[in-house]
Amino acid sequence: MSIKDKVWYPILFMFGASVVFVSILVVFGAFTQSRVDDNKKIAFERAALEASPATLPERMGTSQIHEMYVKVVADSTAETAGALRYMIGDSVAAYLLPVEGQGFWAPVKGVIGIAADKSTITGISFYQQEETPGLGGEIVKKPFRSQFEDKVLAVEGPAIEMRAVSAELDASSVHAVTGATQTSTRVGRFMNDQLIQWQKRMGVR
Amino acid sequence: MSFGAELLHLVTVLFAAVFTENILLARFLGMCSFLSVSRQIKTAVGLGLAVVFVMTFTVALDWVAFRYILLPFNLYYLRFLVFIVIIAAFVQFVEMVVERYSPVLYQNLGIFLPLITVNCAILGASLFMVIRDYSFAEGIAFGLGSGLGWMLAIVAMAGIREKLANAKIPEGLQGPGITLIIAGFMALAFIGFTGVLSSERKQTEPKPVTQEIRQVDQDTTRIVVEEPVE
Amino acid sequence: MAQQKSAGQIVKDGLWLDNPVFTQVLGICSALAVTNLVLNTMVMSAALVFTTALSGFTVSLLRNITPRRVRMMVQTLIIAFYVILFDRVLAAYWPDMSRSLGPYVGLIITNCIIMGRAEAFAGSNPPFKSMLDGFFSGLGYSFVLLAVSVVRELLGMGSILGIPVPFLSSPGFDRWIIMVMPPGAFFTLAVMVWMFRSIKKRGEQKAGGGK
Repeated sequence: MSIKDKVWYPILFMFGASVVFVSILVVFGAFTQSRVDDNKKIAFERAALEASPATLPERMGTSQIHEMYVKVVADSTAETAGALRYMIGDSVAAYLLPVEGQGFWAPVKGVIGIAADKSTITGISFYQQEETPGLGGEIVKKPFRSQFEDKVLAVEGPAIEMRAVSAELDASSVHAVTGATQTSTRVGRFMNDQLIQWQKRMGVR
Repeated sequence: MSFGAELLHLVTVLFAAVFTENILLARFLGMCSFLSVSRQIKTAVGLGLAVVFVMTFTVALDWVAFRYILLPFNLYYLRFLVFIVIIAAFVQFVEMVVERYSPVLYQNLGIFLPLITVNCAILGASLFMVIRDYSFAEGIAFGLGSGLGWMLAIVAMAGIREKLANAKIPEGLQGPGITLIIAGFMALAFIGFTGVLSSERKQTEPKPVTQEIRQVDQDTTRIVVEEPVE
Repeated sequence: MAQQKSAGQIVKDGLWLDNPVFTQVLGICSALAVTNLVLNTMVMSAALVFTTALSGFTVSLLRNITPRRVRMMVQTLIIAFYVILFDRVLAAYWPDMSRSLGPYVGLIITNCIIMGRAEAFAGSNPPFKSMLDGFFSGLGYSFVLLAVSVVRELLGMGSILGIPVPFLSSPGFDRWIIMVMPPGAFFTLAVMVWMFRSIKKRGEQKAGGGK
């Protein structure tokens, strides 16, 4: 009777195989852990810089992003109501407000940059979303995001309004993403909720 | 959130999983068995029920495993392996129980159980549950809804295909070809449900909205009429 | 599988004659959802080819010492191993892609093609042949999905790999939004399966019967 015919052989084999494969994965996982964590942090830092008034080089390595972020962005204080501070020298040049809420499929997280006047938007960027590529996913693309630049936060009504693509725009409104009504509505809603709250705490509304 | 609102929210998750985010028609999961086991309504119902049952329970089990084993040990990248093992073990267990206690049920459902382990919809439901960060109750509602949605799709497809048996179809299009086209039309029809749910969700999710924001809603809902939605 | 296949036959079968998508329409679950962008499809295909080839190799390597009763479990373990490896590499070195593929990389585990190749071929053939078989089955599958994604991105967004195509991206051309949405995938694939089957049928008739 060879070893293969023993009753316990399949169990032992399965157990041994699992141990071997899982330990390789755990070692590999531990090896890449710091990189994965860094990626999450960098994703946020990149979004914060994209929302800020800073002009970013076309292609930026992760280390460059981190260096720049550390240099120009300071933590929030009691006076900034949860917004990070974008510093030029010793003065606050812009506020970077992290916003998040439910998108069509899953949570969407982003950063809105607001100039020192507490009303002009300097930029907007999203660092986490699971929206449909090509539809709701367009919120991360330049054409949608760049609409926000230099728009003014209204102090009455919605801070920044998302309108149908055919509608006229004014100083505080942008066009929604074509075909992605759900994403646009929900993103618009939580952005406004949090912007208005921020405005109130900052005393501009 | 009050209990009533919580319950309504769960119902919304369930309906969303059945109709607007149908795991088969919107997310393409579980296609293999959908294409091969949709010839007769009877078998479709059998497989569908098995999927509903297994999916609800495995999503719950996977939620527990993810929250209490994978997250604390920072091993979330092993989730694929852990989930598939849980699913396989659960299916095996159910098969044994059914075989032992209900030979009739085993005859009708048992043959489908092995098919289910490799049904991507089951694993998919658990993975979406993780990505969307559902609570335990939401997870169960989502699992049940996804299962029901899958069953609805396959039973409807079987009904259509039974009628189609006598139709004249070009040779190359027979079998999977025509099934895919029908699935496309069904997906199209299911997209129509999106609007239904969005208006419902506005009532069920009383966010701390101000007067002004309600106005945004009205403005944007106008787009629902004008353009196709996600 | 009585006789051993030659390497050339493996290539031909995997890519065309026995193309898993066209002949049985198997295994499309895990990848059809990402076919609305060519780039996503390419990465997904790479993950699939990587997994089929290496899991075929490993299953075949262990085939003589694997007990029959736990055969399926061992195969699942091996497949999951490679998928997790790929997923982790993406998460560490290409986080954007990892995020936009969402759960679909993980779903490769339940892809019927990989399981099917492991069971039908790797279980009874030597390692390198199994790897070749896995590689070309995966490639055959990938090229169908790529074709689907090219059609969908071209018509749905007027671009290829994100680069706008002259005529289709002009304002005069209405983008086919349906192509970006799920039904577009079903229709495109259906038409391709139809085309393939008709061409194959004709080829067989010309050859005088065929199989």
